Amino acid sequence: MNDMTQPNVVGQRTPRIDGEFKLTGHAGYTGELHADNMLYGYPVSATIANGKLESLELDEARAMPGVVDIFHHGHFETLHRSPNSMAHGDMVNEVRLPFEDERIYYHGQYVALVVAETFEQARAAAQRVIARYTKMSGATAGLLQTDAEGELQESSGTSRGDPEAAFGGAEVKVDSTYQIAAESHLQMEMHATLAEWHDDGQRLVVHESTQGVFFQRNAMARVFGLAQENLEVISHYIGSGFGNKLFMWPHAVATTVAARMTGRPVKVVLPRQQDMSSGGNRPASRQRIRLGADRSGKLTSVIHDSTTETSLVHQYVDGCGSATPSFYACDNVSTSQRVLEVNHGTPCPMRAPGEVSGIFALETAMDELAVELDMDPVELRLKNNAELDPASGLPWSSKHLDECLTSAAKRFGWENRNPAVGSMRDGDEIIGYGMASCTWSAGRQPCEARVELRADGSLFAACGTQDIGTGTYTIVAQAVAELTGADLSRIEVKLGETSLPAGPLSGGSMATATVLPAVAAAVRDALDAIKEVAIGSGGAFEGSDADSLSAEAGCLTDGNRRVSFEEVLETSKLSSVNGQGSAAPGNEQNEYAFRSFGAHFVEIRIDPEISRVRVARVVSSIDIGRAINPPTARNQVEGGIVMGVGMGLLEKLDYDPRDARLINANVADYIVPTHADAPEIDVELLDYPDFKHNEFGGRGVGEIGLTGVAPAIANAIYHATGKRYRDLPITIEDLLAAD
Amino acid sequence: MDDSVHSRTRAQAAPGTQTLNFTLNGEPRTLEVAPNAVLLDVLREQIGLGGTKKGCDHGQCGACTVHVDGQSMNSCLRLAVMCEGQHVTTVEGLARDGELHPIQQNFLECDAYQCGYCTPGQMMSATALLNDERVGTDDASVKEAMSGNICRCGAYKNIVEAIQKSRQQLSYDATQKEGTA
Repeated sequence: MNDMTQPNVVGQRTPRIDGEFKLTGHAGYTGELHADNMLYGYPVSATIANGKLESLELDEARAMPGVVDIFHHGHFETLHRSPNSMAHGDMVNEVRLPFEDERIYYHGQYVALVVAETFEQARAAAQRVIARYTKMSGATAGLLQTDAEGELQESSGTSRGDPEAAFGGAEVKVDSTYQIAAESHLQMEMHATLAEWHDDGQRLVVHESTQGVFFQRNAMARVFGLAQENLEVISHYIGSGFGNKLFMWPHAVATTVAARMTGRPVKVVLPRQQDMSSGGNRPASRQRIRLGADRSGKLTSVIHDSTTETSLVHQYVDGCGSATPSFYACDNVSTSQRVLEVNHGTPCPMRAPGEVSGIFALETAMDELAVELDMDPVELRLKNNAELDPASGLPWSSKHLDECLTSAAKRFGWENRNPAVGSMRDGDEIIGYGMASCTWSAGRQPCEARVELRADGSLFAACGTQDIGTGTYTIVAQAVAELTGADLSRIEVKLGETSLPAGPLSGGSMATATVLPAVAAAVRDALDAIKEVAIGSGGAFEGSDADSLSAEAGCLTDGNRRVSFEEVLETSKLSSVNGQGSAAPGNEQNEYAFRSFGAHFVEIRIDPEISRVRVARVVSSIDIGRAINPPTARNQVEGGIVMGVGMGLLEKLDYDPRDARLINANVADYIVPTHADAPEIDVELLDYPDFKHNEFGGRGVGEIGLTGVAPAIANAIYHATGKRYRDLPITIEDLLAAD
Repeated sequence: MDDSVHSRTRAQAAPGTQTLNFTLNGEPRTLEVAPNAVLLDVLREQIGLGGTKKGCDHGQCGACTVHVDGQSMNSCLRLAVMCEGQHVTTVEGLARDGELHPIQQNFLECDAYQCGYCTPGQMMSATALLNDERVGTDDASVKEAMSGNICRCGAYKNIVEAIQKSRQQLSYDATQKEGTA
């Protein structure tokens, strides 16, 4: 076995193996695929948020050129009820099937799907569909527009010690409420489905831009009553997802029904407006944090009570408190979670779901506590650093938060910070320094993989996971190269098909730690197989002991002689050998707690004349175990920081308080960071491989970079202005109101 | 992938179409296009060049950026029939003779992307601004000029690095050419 403490390819900078396809325009994302005889679908969505669809006037639309059919309630296939189970791998993002009834629960809900010969014809006809509604009063425009408390989720709360009593008796207290607006994923590629039935409706192939081909296959098999082996879901390239492509949405079901009922392949790419209204969002949250501490800054109580939104058609719980019990050493901690039904499109996981909101509240509260204590916020965090996981009592597999805090502080120049509010200036600008810790859990799932060594000299690795832009194709190739010594250019990787060995969702920062051990097991199985071939009759190492052979540089060697894999195979007249591998988390899960930590330091600059805030600089140190491919891992953290600037200062889905209609479902009115908004970024990835988590030592990196950015910005704005902003985003209007 | 699904498509004349003559990536083309067909959709659906991406479909994200007579434009805001007689270049026209354009090579080496969906638009805007004397050469000017191209993955830092590296190489190449002329 290779020595993973000193790898040759893993941990080394490796340009993406799929890069050239993306850079030449030949990658093939779902929306640009074509099937023979394909039709185009264009959904029509509700223009009210609460009421009933009374009628659809379709005559004019039906008479438009190229229109083949228009599907709607009353003209749609009867389906089986949607499944929704994480354990069974068939969770969906919205259990209500399209056109199920005439009730309208949210603005953007599909009321019809027009199918036509060309995209232009489908769009033109969709615009001629006239829907008549009865509007109902009492739409809930959003959590932050009401005082409603929502339903307590008994299973989501935790408690240790006696937090209420400890808070009551604390020497120093913070008791604050934080509100975060709903956000849009705004992944660049909209949801897209291309559905094709074969063999007279017995077999289904669905191309979907998804973070989970197996989840969608399993869900579709249930909805359409098909055996899983008669249904294939394919997703080779995904224009990212950030969580809203984890599970199936109604557009995929509508498209697939349209394909069956028309007898032709149908493609639907959601228009951006519909993608934003009906394709997922991060729900708004309201959180109350109570912190108690003694005069020395030691936390004595943490109470974190959260409420988030869900839709009227699907229960989604965005658990804000999930990191809190593990964050700081404190004997008395409780969390609670409530959920309020609102007339919005269904929310779903969005990058660092729940925790990123919770960490905004907790890390802003910690800054407030530092101010109360007149203590440096870095010192306060170091003082409360948890040496063990306080939630489970288990030791951390590997934790270096203290080094992250001190290293990032040093590179940032934190020692130059004058803690007095508004004391730091540069010309007309007020400078604010703020910081926050960040964290994300380190999960791992069961996984299977297959590896072939081929007589043409190529090596092939396959797994039914996806590459959503994080670089999974490339790290799989690195793992194969590491264990065989073969050159990366010889390695072909296939992902994103349910015909491949079962792989995990691309989500939760779990794919790397989940997939690579299974790939390694498959490589070892393939190497065992080729060794058996080599020592067999007429083999390249006939009569040798298999244990005396090892792999190096894409060859087998006995220490004296090297024979390439292809020569071994040709000698024995074989086209290939095949290795199967599987891997799963084991007993280490009962022995250690697994979580990544880091720290962000932020410099903001405010122009007081125009109340403009800019994030000038972010310096971060993050401990993710080993980065398998350092540039792509760093890119994830840098991208998370950019998204954090959006969460802190820009992003807000705006629902009309009168009738719950989403009023900024477009890329101009929903503002995300552009090039000009991106700060100067300095990310350090600590390099402490976590071999307790998996043999490659990497813990995953997709979410952690986003956590902690928004509170660091808010804390920096406090430092500059003396105003404590507890609601996100912090807009220019908020700053003007403070004057 | 299923054999019947491919990234090239049929040319199809729908009723009421108009004839469009234009040059695409250096090759003359004649097409029958619907008068309401947008250049972006004609490229992706009718011609089968999927490199030009649809991110918002109304001029807000930059993913559909192409060059029309050398100027970068949002192909989603342009009816196909407006391109009569014009030269259109898409991302598929950047590489020459199997060699990546310097901007593509530098995007690869700087990891100036993640999901890759905004990338063609970023590169088309970048190649246009490198030839645009009105845009300053410093990072701040580049960031300002590139702000019509949204990257939700947030790979902005690496994109700017890739553009600036390309600028150095392209100006070096230009100097070399002058020297040998």
